[in-house]
Amino acid sequence: ERGGNNSFTHEALTLKYKLDNQFELVFVVGFQKILTLTYVDKLIDDVHKEFRDKYRNEFQQKGTLGLLNGTFDFRDDFMRLLREAEESSKVRAPTVMKTFEQSLKSQKTVKCMIETRGEKPKEKVKNKKNKGPKKEGAEAAPAAGKASTGDKQPAAAGEKEELTKDEILQKNREEFFKRHMKAGEKSRSPKPEAQKEKGKKPRVWDLGNSNAKVLDYSNSATNGSAETAPVEEFDPDLALGDRNREPGRLYDLEYESDEEAEEEKVIQNPSKPSTKKGGLGGMFGMLKGLVGSKSLTREDMDPVLEKMKDHLIAKNVAAEIAVQLCESVAKKLEGKVMGTFTTVTSTVKQALQEALVQILQPQRRVDVLRDVMDAQRHRRPYVVTFCGVNGVGKSTNLAKISFWLIENGFSVLIAACDTFRAGAVEQLRTHTRRLNALHPPESHGGRTMVQLYEKGYGKDAAGIAMEAISYARNQGFDVVLVDTAGRMQDNAPLMTALAKLIAVNAPDLVLFVGEALVGNEAVDQLVKFNKALADHSMAQTPRLIDGIVLTKFDTIDDKVGAAISMTYITSKPIVFVGTGQTYCDLRSLNAKAVVAALMKA
Amino acid sequence: AMAGGLEPHLEALRRELRVQDPALLSVLLALLAIAVTFLIWRLVQGRRSSRRAVLLLGLCDAGKTLLFARLLTGRYRDTQTSITDSSAVYRASKDKSANVTLIDLPGHESLRLQFLERFKAAARAIVFVVDSVAFQREVKDVAEFLYQVLVDSTVLKNAPALLIACNKQDVTMAKSAKLIQQQLEKELNTLRVTRSAAPTSLDSPGTGGPAQLGKKGKDFDFSQLPMKVEFVECSARGSKGEEGDADFEGLEKWLAKIA
Repeated sequence: ERGGNNSFTHEALTLKYKLDNQFELVFVVGFQKILTLTYVDKLIDDVHKEFRDKYRNEFQQKGTLGLLNGTFDFRDDFMRLLREAEESSKVRAPTVMKTFEQSLKSQKTVKCMIETRGEKPKEKVKNKKNKGPKKEGAEAAPAAGKASTGDKQPAAAGEKEELTKDEILQKNREEFFKRHMKAGEKSRSPKPEAQKEKGKKPRVWDLGNSNAKVLDYSNSATNGSAETAPVEEFDPDLALGDRNREPGRLYDLEYESDEEAEEEKVIQNPSKPSTKKGGLGGMFGMLKGLVGSKSLTREDMDPVLEKMKDHLIAKNVAAEIAVQLCESVAKKLEGKVMGTFTTVTSTVKQALQEALVQILQPQRRVDVLRDVMDAQRHRRPYVVTFCGVNGVGKSTNLAKISFWLIENGFSVLIAACDTFRAGAVEQLRTHTRRLNALHPPESHGGRTMVQLYEKGYGKDAAGIAMEAISYARNQGFDVVLVDTAGRMQDNAPLMTALAKLIAVNAPDLVLFVGEALVGNEAVDQLVKFNKALADHSMAQTPRLIDGIVLTKFDTIDDKVGAAISMTYITSKPIVFVGTGQTYCDLRSLNAKAVVAALMKA
Repeated sequence: AMAGGLEPHLEALRRELRVQDPALLSVLLALLAIAVTFLIWRLVQGRRSSRRAVLLLGLCDAGKTLLFARLLTGRYRDTQTSITDSSAVYRASKDKSANVTLIDLPGHESLRLQFLERFKAAARAIVFVVDSVAFQREVKDVAEFLYQVLVDSTVLKNAPALLIACNKQDVTMAKSAKLIQQQLEKELNTLRVTRSAAPTSLDSPGTGGPAQLGKKGKDFDFSQLPMKVEFVECSARGSKGEEGDADFEGLEKWLAKIA
């Protein structure tokens, strides 16, 4: 489903691939990452064409058996194509650098390059914008002209010409300016910076020195009296303008519709015949597309893909992911031969549906109960950590999951590592009390199924987690659920703290809790969380997010795109789905239902 | 006398038809044509969906594609991880015209369920290929996939014959079929408890959940399944290396029995 980009890097090798969808072939070329070979794309295209033409018969007629039995002796052809590609990349002669004599620098006198500091405070080149006043531009031009010859200009601080030579130099400068405008833009910025450094002069406003007293009208006794205001000449004709107006009436806005309407008509007319032609051709094209075998081209698919992309974005899939998905579907379908009675729309929809289902079923399923049983056998507790941004429902879903675990007969220790939020510990204490009331120790052979391990507020979360785990091991608890404080993904110190907690305690499962309402933010959150976990871990293989809990699913009816965004970014499965605020509102993801809701119009 | 008796009847029929309104006649003919077309279409449908396929399933690197190539051509080929299905007609035994379509499905986690969905209805038999060398390590994944195949509603309904082919027996560290069977039974026993206890999925029909595998109360056994299950050892590469033949007579015999 990530077919959009066609290159892949692994250790020292880069792989580039090309799909042939008509015959279902994949062409892969691998080369060392450090070499930047410019002929790779051309080579792969040539190989593709040659191979396809040479073995076209085998593919078309004999099918699978042909592929298995046929000998594809392509080695000689491949070596020839490789040689051709290598040679073609060497054809262009490298650009020769200009010699010093050819450069402009040699044509200047030494004197004009001397930098005289301390003069010209007026040249306050204040910004790096191209549209500076002409004088500044002219000043910069000689510097630009020199920079364009490629030397690093030590005198880039600018020219300080004597005022006496102004006229002649201005003319020269203007000439240079016009010629070297483009090259000079880049080197402009070091110059104004250097000028700015030299002694900041305070800005002098024209009226600034006047006293505040004069501008203060508040205490004048003359407020409202007619004496202070000077008598102006008042011309009623000028003020009223139109003599013929009726007093009191508000006129409509008049506009000259005639000329504009003509223009519109003229513009429309040329477009109409083209649409008519297009219409007729389009109808035949549609019929042709329905019957018989037509291979898909990019132009056919583009309008459909645009619509699908907008549809996905309307369903709350992150924008960049929708774009990448459509790209990958396009790559997968390009050149494919459609069967009879299938339209482009239906083929694209089908392919998109398959890609979405594939995304939602990544890697191996996380089976919590199975893993807990394993840990039970080894006599150690199974540690689950919940992380996420503020307010997504970590504590609520932690309570739901502990209820589910208790129902299945496992004892749970809740570690209150949220030492920041007011009431976090009390919230977990209430949950513990409720769960124990629902599942009293008598019905489970005398042991308390849920216990809370807390150390109050303000302490170090990683330390509390470590103590909780060793407490669980001593007391024989099966599962430890660690609740952490919500944090924004941009908050570096908090992300470091989270990474430290996870790296030090090595939990069995790291769950990212995300709400289904999130839109494009999901991408940013997950990327930054994963990055933080990877950066701050000392181990060779850092612990990343292992699974996703999607919460508040009941608040979205069918705008379920957040599920796609999250699984696409991390390639990890959605382990639980939270659909409400009671203990029973815990579900597992049904990929087909979600995709059906997504594709529904 | 018979012919004589028939003639006046035919004449009467013809006269009757001619008397009738020709429009009615054309309508009747049209209806007849539609009915015939419908019957033909149903027949074609039936033929297409009849179960003539043998699916090759298994984890990645179990050896499905090599088995597929060996069965069809007898020669060894270097294979890559499959990303799409391959199918071809396999002649099971020389005398009968017993043809089955062998379908080799990819084993990758993100693709396997999709392809299973597509082909499960046409499956007459399933060959589940297991890598006997890596089995100790992968037992949980093998069991999980096998469980997903077995609780599928279509598979339960059709009950295709199941053969578990313990591949890669040419390597010395390979586990025997007996051991694999025991381990799988134990693992599936645990799995059916944990899977049925998993939270119900969204939009699922409230009650039920995944089907129960085997009999409740008793430990899981392959004999409790509605389909015939057999275990066989084989080696796609063959003990004599790439030049020699593969040893899979057990597999071939089973295929001949199925076809």
